[in-house]
Order: sequence, then C-alpha cells, then structure tokens
Amino acid sequence: MVKRTPTDSDAATDGAAGMDRRQFLTTAAAANAAFVLGFWLPPRAAQGQTETRAATMPGAVWYAAAATPEINAWIAIDADDTVTIRIAQTELGQGVWTSNAMMVCEELQCDFRRVRPIYASANRDARELAPEWTLNVMGNGGADPKGGGEPTFGNRARTGGFGIPDSLYRRMRTNAASSVKDGRYYLQLAGAEARERLLLAAANLWGVSVHELTAKDSVITHAASGRTMTYGKIAGLAARTPHPNPAAIAIKSPDQWTLMGTEQNNLDVPMKVTGETVYGIDVRLPGMKWAAVKSCPVYGGDVKSYDFDAIRRRRGVHSAVQFPIPDPALTRGRVFSGGVAVIADSWYQAKSALDQMPIEWSIPARNGAFSSANMRAALLAALDEPGRVRVNLGDVDAAFAGAAKVVEATYFTPYLPRARMEPGNATVLVTDDRVDIWIGDQSPQETRFSASQITGIAEANVYLHMCHLGGGFGRNGNGPQAEQAIMIANANRGTPIHLLWTREEDFIGTTYRAMGMARLKAGLDTDGWPVALDVRTSMQKDGFGPDASFDVISRYYVPNYRFSNHSTDFHVPVGTRRGVGQAAHEFYRESFMDELAHAAGKDPYRYRRELIARTDLPFKTDMIKALDMAAEMSGWGTPLPRGTARAIALEERGAETGGSATISAMVHTVSLSRQGQVRLERVDVAHDRGFGLVNPLSVKKQIEGQITWFYNDAMHQAVNIQDGRVVENNFHVFPLSRLNEDPLKINIRFFDSGHWLIGMGHDRGTSVQSAIGDAVFQITGKRFRDLPFRQHDLSWS
Amino acid sequence: MAFELTVNGTVHSVDADPETPLLWVIRDQLGLTGTKFSCGIAQCGACTVHVDGQPIRSCSFPAAAAVGKAVKTIEGVSPDGSHPIQQAWKELDAPQCGYCQSGMIMSALALLQQKPNPTDADIDAAVTNACRCSSYHRVRKAIHRAADLMKA
Repeated sequence: MVKRTPTDSDAATDGAAGMDRRQFLTTAAAANAAFVLGFWLPPRAAQGQTETRAATMPGAVWYAAAATPEINAWIAIDADDTVTIRIAQTELGQGVWTSNAMMVCEELQCDFRRVRPIYASANRDARELAPEWTLNVMGNGGADPKGGGEPTFGNRARTGGFGIPDSLYRRMRTNAASSVKDGRYYLQLAGAEARERLLLAAANLWGVSVHELTAKDSVITHAASGRTMTYGKIAGLAARTPHPNPAAIAIKSPDQWTLMGTEQNNLDVPMKVTGETVYGIDVRLPGMKWAAVKSCPVYGGDVKSYDFDAIRRRRGVHSAVQFPIPDPALTRGRVFSGGVAVIADSWYQAKSALDQMPIEWSIPARNGAFSSANMRAALLAALDEPGRVRVNLGDVDAAFAGAAKVVEATYFTPYLPRARMEPGNATVLVTDDRVDIWIGDQSPQETRFSASQITGIAEANVYLHMCHLGGGFGRNGNGPQAEQAIMIANANRGTPIHLLWTREEDFIGTTYRAMGMARLKAGLDTDGWPVALDVRTSMQKDGFGPDASFDVISRYYVPNYRFSNHSTDFHVPVGTRRGVGQAAHEFYRESFMDELAHAAGKDPYRYRRELIARTDLPFKTDMIKALDMAAEMSGWGTPLPRGTARAIALEERGAETGGSATISAMVHTVSLSRQGQVRLERVDVAHDRGFGLVNPLSVKKQIEGQITWFYNDAMHQAVNIQDGRVVENNFHVFPLSRLNEDPLKINIRFFDSGHWLIGMGHDRGTSVQSAIGDAVFQITGKRFRDLPFRQHDLSWS
Repeated sequence: MAFELTVNGTVHSVDADPETPLLWVIRDQLGLTGTKFSCGIAQCGACTVHVDGQPIRSCSFPAAAAVGKAVKTIEGVSPDGSHPIQQAWKELDAPQCGYCQSGMIMSALALLQQKPNPTDADIDAAVTNACRCSSYHRVRKAIHRAADLMKA
C-alpha cells in the first residue's frame, strides 16, 4: 500500500525516469505508472486505506489523479472539477497552502471548496524555466494597487539565498515572510492564464466568441444560449489550448477581489486535528533504518574516537557512521561539528545505543574557551571601539555638547534558538545514480545542491519530497540535518536512512540568533526632545541583521544621528530567527524611547507620536494612525489598578524607505504581582491592511502567535554558552510559556494604507519586549535592560 | 520481549524491550504517527495519549506499564475528524504548524471528560502542552467551543 507523498510526483520525470525503484512502486505503480514515487504509511495502509479511498476522503487535500490535465505548472483540473494547486512554498503553520491557493483561485474562478493544494516538485522547478508571462512584474511597485507589488528576485545565484534564476516556480524558498509579497502577482497570473484558456477552449468547442462567456465557481456559461460547462469537462481541451497573448492577461486589483481578503480557514487544518499530516518525522519507507546522531557539542569540534564495539551487540543495532564537519560552503559558511551516527532498526534502539557508546571529542581550544561571561565582556568592549559607522547625519558630537540632558542605556539580548517543536530530521535514500530526500525544508534547492555535492550524483537526479514542517521560524538558517542524513545515507547506499535529532541534539544543530548588545545615548533639549542620538550595536561578525532598522534613520525624529556596528568573533553558528536582527533592535530602540519619554516627563505614546510627526518618513501618517488607533483601543490614559501598567510601541518594516511596508502599533497592558509575577493581561493591536490582506485569518494567527513568541523572548528564554557548548538544551531549562501565560484578550484591528505589505511572519509583536520592561519600570521604579526579565527581581511593595 | 497492548480498542502484539517508551511503540511498531516526539523528557506534551482515560506523556511512560490498560491516541478520537473537539478545532482554525496539536487535543479531551464546563483556570491547570507557534489563543477558545458542542 502506498500513500503518496504530498510532493507532486510529476509523472513523466520523477517517475518514469524508471530507475530501479520497483521496491517502492507496488500499488502505486500498478494503479498508475505515473506515480512511482511514494511512501508507505503503514498504519492506515494496514487499516485498508487505499489510494482510491484517500482520493475520496474529505480532507485528503493533496490528492491529484495522475491523468489530470495540467493547465499550467500551478494548476491541474480533474474531471470532477477538483482543482489541484501546486504550492512551491513550505507549509509551516503560516498558512501558505491556503493563501497561495486563494491567490490562484481568485483569478481561476474555481470553486474554492474543491481546491486541493499539493507540493510542487523541486526537481521540476530546477529543470524547467518559468513561463514568460511570469517574468515581468506589472505596475509600479509597492504604491500601485493595480500592480504586482515589489517581489524580490534579485541576486538569484545557484547556491545562494534566492534559488535558481528564473526557475519554473520563480521562488521555492520559504523565507523573509515573503510568500505573499513575492508570489502574489504570478500566482494571480497563473490563475488568470488558466481561466482564459478554459474559456478559450469552451469558446472553440461551442463555436462562439470567448467574450460571450463568463466563468464562476468552475462553471463556464454562455448566457445567450444558456449553455454551461464545468471546468472538469473542458480541462483536457484547455490543456492543449495555448493562450495567444499571455502578456495581455491582467490580474485583479484589490477592489475586485472576492475571495482574497476574506477570512478562510486553513485547508490543511482538518488533517492536523486527526494526526494525519505527514511531517518529515512521519516518513516511513520499506527497509528504512533509523539514525541517531551526536555531534561534537562544541561547534567546530570533531570526533576523536568512538567505540562501536561497546554497543554493537545491542538489539537492533547495525552500524555506526562517522561524519565530518559539514562543508561550510553547503551550510552558508557556518561551521557546525563533526559527529557520529548509530544506525538501528528503530530510532529508540539507535538513540539508546548511542547514549551508551563512548565517544571522545576533539575540541579546538579557542572554541572550548568561550563562555557567556567572556563573550558578553567582548561585546561590551567592542562597543567602545571605533566600530563601523553606517549612518552619520548632522553633527552628533556638537549636538551632545549643547544638550541640556544626556541619557544613556546599554541593553543585552542573549543567544536564542528557534526551538521548533519538530526536532530536525531527514530521510534519505542514495543509490548509485539517484538521491531521494524526504524532509520538511524551507530551501529545497539548496538541499538538492548539498546532496549532489556530497554524493557526486548529478543534481538533476536529486529528488526532494516535501513534507509539512513542525514549525519554521527561520529554518532556512537551520543546521545541517539534511547534510548529515545525506552523508550517512551515502555511506549506506541502497538503504533509506531516517535521521532524527534528539531535542538536545536539535539545540546543537540549530543556528542561533546572535547574542547582542547595544548602547544608545541621546542628548535632549530643555523641552526633553532629542537633539542627538548615538546608537552602537555589537554582535558577532557573521550575525544576521546587525544594521536592521537602524541603518537608514532612527525612526523617531532626531536632527543629529549616528549609528555604528561593532563586531567580535565567536564560534556559534548564527542565522535568521523570526526576522534578522530587528526583533532585538526593536527591544533596544523602543525601550530607549520609553526611557527618553520618562526622562522628558512626557507620555510615551504622545512622545513617540510627536517624534514621528516631526519626520518626513514616507509612511509617517500610517505610523501615526497605528499609534492613535492602538492607544484608543486600549483606553490609553484611563486609570488602572496599582500593579498594572500600559506600554506602547511601534513595529514597522520598510517605513523608512518607502515602497512596500508593514506597520503596526501595540499597547500591552501588563500586571505585576508584588511577588514579581508578570501577566500580559491584554494586547491591543492596530495593524496595517495595506492594499489588502490575502487571508486576514492567517494574519491574525500570525499576530497572536508572535505576541507570545516575543513574550517568551522577553520573559523566559536564553541560551548560555559554557566551555564552548550550549547550556540550555531542552525545555526544562529553556522554558516555553503555556496557556496559563497567554493573554486572555488580544484585540486586533486593521487600518487601510496606501502600499503593499511586506509580510507578517516576523517582526510583529516585538513590542512585547520593551512594553514589559516599561511596565515593570512604571510599577516598580526598576529598569531592567537585559533579557530575559525572569532573571531579575521584579517584586515590589 | 513480547506483550499485548490495547490501543484505540484494538489488541496489538508488540515485541519491544519493556522499558521502551510507549511513544516509540505507538509510532514505530503500531505505525500510529499522529502522536509526536519533541522533547523526550515529559515536558512539552506533544506525545500526550490517554491511558485508561488519563493523559500521560508517552515519551516517558514505559510501554510495559500500559499492558492491560486502554490506550487512546489521536487516531482513536474519531475515525473521520468528526468528534466535537476536532470540529471545534477546525471551526476556530486553532492549529498553526499543527505539530503539537495531537497532544494538545488529547490533553483538552481528558479535561473535558472530567470537567464538561471548564473555566479558564481549569484549562490553564490541565492543558500544559507547549506550542511554539503559540496557537494558545485559539486553543483556549476551541476548548470552550468543544465544551458547548459536546453538550449538544
């Protein structure tokens, strides 16, 4: 029995390539020669869930029949009007399966209830070029409601961050909160192109002008004759009907949307409440063995020796494989560690044996000498170095000399992992001429490239079968689970190897948001308004986003502004984490704005409002709108009980530069018990709608989730380094908040603005950090500038 | 060693070292992959299943200790996602990535079976599962909604 992977197996190639995969092809191949790649799902297979039944099951959203006519690379339509929409981004909880399907469906005019998302093939993406009609973005950028916005395809290098230039699906990565921003124009176009061809095919069949036809909910109608035809009936013909002039196809602007802009429940949620969703960890293949691994706990370290003989007779254990430090060229320059894997029949056997296997590590002395205390001291010392001045407006030193008051504060943010719930894993089968990888992956083309480099097998013969991800949060920057699994499987050719990290190993294999410090110093005039601002940030030299959001202007008006970076050299691999640098920078900046407002004796909301009003930033009216709306929603200024306080902050991306932007303001109402227990009582959110949100429900979920994400950053989470290794490596020492800390009230309102949005997957809710800090200050008089706050005595009397 | 486990009403003969955690028997021997592994130390609750109606963290519960007891996993909640708790979860669109949701649902179901009208404080005390996407806001609403649906 075979249940197909949610990856589109695109018949002619992934399958009929015909290599020796017969052992995998039993039922699927018999049922349909096109579907030769699949994987077994023993439980339900054993319970008699056949391919056919899967097709008719409600919620079997990734089903598509093999003979289904493909209208274009994104769309195939069955005779029963089921529309299969191929999704080139990875679903990791952000709702991309649903939003991408909505954008296609809006134009296709199909019945959204009959839509089935399915993962697009990464192999095919690399093999075919994008249709001509997707290559040019229509309109005039971020401020044109009728255009395609500001998608980013710049600097697309083969191994770089943006995938393969002009590949079939334009973009297969899932990053930078950009799936909607980058994909909207061509997904709408894909739907429109298919619709036009369906109409043309029907017009040809009926011998009428295409202009006499209309399409709605998968039905084509010729009003004059009363004839109708469903998409399913004409799809075969439409698949063979090219569009004469696809460049002339226009997309709908937001005022014409009927599906986009409405709240739609996520299409894959039905499978998430039954346990049916296939994550990478759930992949099962015949003959598959499991691998548990240990990497040197000090980054850059390697295996000196290990004693497999000590465990070789344990039940189920097959072998051990040592793997080297993954080539930094395949892991974006990051240096992880070498390690050793134990292969066994089951993962628990492999892991238990590995726990008992003696391993000696070879640890570079320099790396083993790093600890949080000396790293922090190095960051602090770097702040006093000249640094690299990125912005220098006016005459900062002269303005300080003339200031009536100088305020200075130094802030700290620790190393933070993503700690997604699904530990790193990958299943890999290497044969002599082909590699197959089953994985939840935000950058499949880079993983295919790695596989080719490690195995020496042509990249054209590397197939990646995408699974859902149990959380992402910047997994593009994640560690080398795929590379490790490929190395282990390459040493076991012919045997599928399923690598799974323990939670502790996941803390070693991940990349971290860099530990950072910042010193902000402001000169105020006699009325308390800033006349000079000097911002210094320090971070390790390869840290992500050292400039984020400080590099153009200070956001809040100051006539003399200087911003400099100060770097050090640490050994911890760092990456993206729900944004690049900005979340920490928002803590620094917005905390400091609160400190300045208090120093000036002014209300923090009105202080911010005035300083935005004094700028000439392109979106200052939207920022003011956000502040006003959030303040009004929260009842700003109305009395609160002793021990409760409100704090406000702005959140924005892009508002300094124009074009696309996302702007929000939040007011957090925070209570603090006398014993120092913090509770986020209520959050009032004023959020940019831009020209339109594709799925406002998913946006709300992203906002709700990020409020708690950054609550955790503010209150609980830190990873320390001791003797070069991470100290907090599981959830008993790296706390995750639970329901009992979730705010009972989250009020979200949207306001209209005149630009396309950037994305909602990160940098929302960052205001929780400064808000809790300021609420604690208002209640206790104590100002804490190091995160997380739980390490401080927050009690009061 | 071989022993019998009753999971979702079906008796299975399994062959595993008795100290093997129930989680791995469920996932790897019985092939019920809806129950998830995340921390391995009974912290996060992604592996929550019922043993005789009580929610337990199956990553730290020896399989042999479930012999003679009724084990229920997410796959046993309903054959088709039609249980009121699943309906409520769908209505509120509670999951994000969904990885923790099997465990979250099993914890909430146990609570609702003991307290058909849970207060927010009851929910806080009983549903201690971790969700990294922070679906908590909708999960709480879904639990209240499920309580209503289960009464109907």
